[in-house]
Amino acid sequence: MPFGYLRIELLRMLRNKRYIIFVVAFPVIFYMINANLWGAQTTEGGVRAGVFLMVSMGAYGALAASMMSTAVPWAQERQSGWLRQLRVTPLPNTTIILTKLAAALLLVLPSLLLVVLAAVVTQGVSLTAGQWAALIPAMWLGTIPFAALGLVIGSLLPVDTAQPVAMLSMFALALLGGLWFPPEAMPATMKDIADVLPSFSYADIGWHLVSGEAVPLSDAVTVVIWAAVLGVLAVLGCRRAVTRA
Amino acid sequence: MEAIAFTDVSKSYGDVLAVDGLDLTVRAGTTVALLGPNGAGKSTSVDMLLGLLRPTRGRVEVLGRPPDEAVARGEVGAMLQSGELIPELTVRETVDFVRRLYPDPLDPDEILTMADLTGLVKRRAGKLSGGQAQRVRFAMAVAGAPRLLLLDEPTAAMDVESRLRFWACMRDYAAGGRTVLFTTHHLEEAEENSDRVVVIARGRVVADGTAAEIKAGTGGHAVHFTLGGQPAAGLDALPGVTAVEIRSGAATLRTTDADATVAALYRGTSLEVRDLRIAGADLEEAFLALTRES
Ligand SMILES: Nc1ncnc2c1ncn2[C@@H]1O[C@H](COP(=O)(O)OP(=O)(O)O)[C@@H](O)[C@H]1O
Ligand SMILES: [Mg+2]
Repeated sequence: MPFGYLRIELLRMLRNKRYIIFVVAFPVIFYMINANLWGAQTTEGGVRAGVFLMVSMGAYGALAASMMSTAVPWAQERQSGWLRQLRVTPLPNTTIILTKLAAALLLVLPSLLLVVLAAVVTQGVSLTAGQWAALIPAMWLGTIPFAALGLVIGSLLPVDTAQPVAMLSMFALALLGGLWFPPEAMPATMKDIADVLPSFSYADIGWHLVSGEAVPLSDAVTVVIWAAVLGVLAVLGCRRAVTRA
Repeated sequence: MEAIAFTDVSKSYGDVLAVDGLDLTVRAGTTVALLGPNGAGKSTSVDMLLGLLRPTRGRVEVLGRPPDEAVARGEVGAMLQSGELIPELTVRETVDFVRRLYPDPLDPDEILTMADLTGLVKRRAGKLSGGQAQRVRFAMAVAGAPRLLLLDEPTAAMDVESRLRFWACMRDYAAGGRTVLFTTHHLEEAEENSDRVVVIARGRVVADGTAAEIKAGTGGHAVHFTLGGQPAAGLDALPGVTAVEIRSGAATLRTTDADATVAALYRGTSLEVRDLRIAGADLEEAFLALTRES
């Protein structure tokens, strides 16, 4: 019963205080505070800040969720012997790895949807059905590179190193990706770095979608390449982790 | 049918030879204690039975199959020497999850009763005491109703009373005609809870017999002779023989009945036996090491 494994993976994260506070609650609270302060202003692109911030905070929550539900728990399970205990049951190794990826993706949804809900309810954000239908899946599946990165970190590093490395990666990706401060406010060198990072392209896709503009091909290509590279590394890392546990 | 068969198995970690030419078979339906001091190679042997480690040399079979296959088919359950639970999950959730991974598991209530967990079903694993967590790990090991149950130092974290209760649970499970192999470094634990005790030290079997035989120190003899270039096939089938070692032409038969083994060696084989010598197995040393441990 592979779904039994998915079920407990979701359950244990939803009961984890750190996940609930930093991943689910923090982005939506941050959204509401900021949207209250400057939600009515208009950005350079002519979009209301309340809408723009929905993408930024939704992206931040999704980024945090996908890394927090992977790196440290995975390193911990490797080290604590839980993974070895799974290996002596009939649960196949491939199911273990695929479930980890699937759980990471599903655990992105609560914070993402909560930010969107807050935007609609408190800021009256309204998009066309087509925009929503493009935005939500893009912001959801666009987290694949981050979930994969978290699994790579958790596969290779011991818990006490995985923890700070995951935190630093997450903050660096959020900051340089322009999720906290608009990318226009960045110095030129930072902007150059941001351009090649998956987090900026990921959020940029969302910003374009809510502005009703076409998504730049370069953004999509950047996210897909990062997803492919980190995805392969994650599968290799997890396989190594499982067979050595 | 053999539930467990080690055939000339060695395992080294770099320079450390953890298991050294282990020959051991366990018939289905028996409860065997693998007794030995720390570092004797008990965990290494158990991990090879589970497919967690590959032998450096020799062959390991579980219920007539390679270990990986037996594990994948849900025929083996195990309690490893160490391993933590997921703190956010309750006892019931943890046990139920594992139970559903097996094709033909025990009833949930039966598992909880057997592992003495009925009062703790709603408790999160993070709030369990060491002994309680051990019982959950025991429940995970038996949940799938495996034909072979492996327990690696299952009582290590328990106080005296928990130990007694734990062994009662184990005997319940074994009573269903299943095969159980557990490791321990306590002679009394081995004695009270098994049909057969195999003592290992430095990765080799040093004694093999019933607890009474082992305790009396009569339970193991070694028959040494020069085999030269003659074939060794069939030596392990001689009466009483528990292990066969061949080293540059010198054969050592570990036996529980030296008289029967020697008689059969002369009458039942066509080997030319030279330099025959019978010695007590190296029990003394194993037990000295044991007593130093505790
Ligand atoms: N991963 C490892 N790397 C190196 N040496 C190891 C490793 N695991 C066990 N050993 C060594 O192998 C020997 C047998 O260990 P082990 O099987 O754990 O013994 P036991 O379970 O009987 O205490 C010991 O000398 C131990 O130090
Ligand atoms: Mg051990």
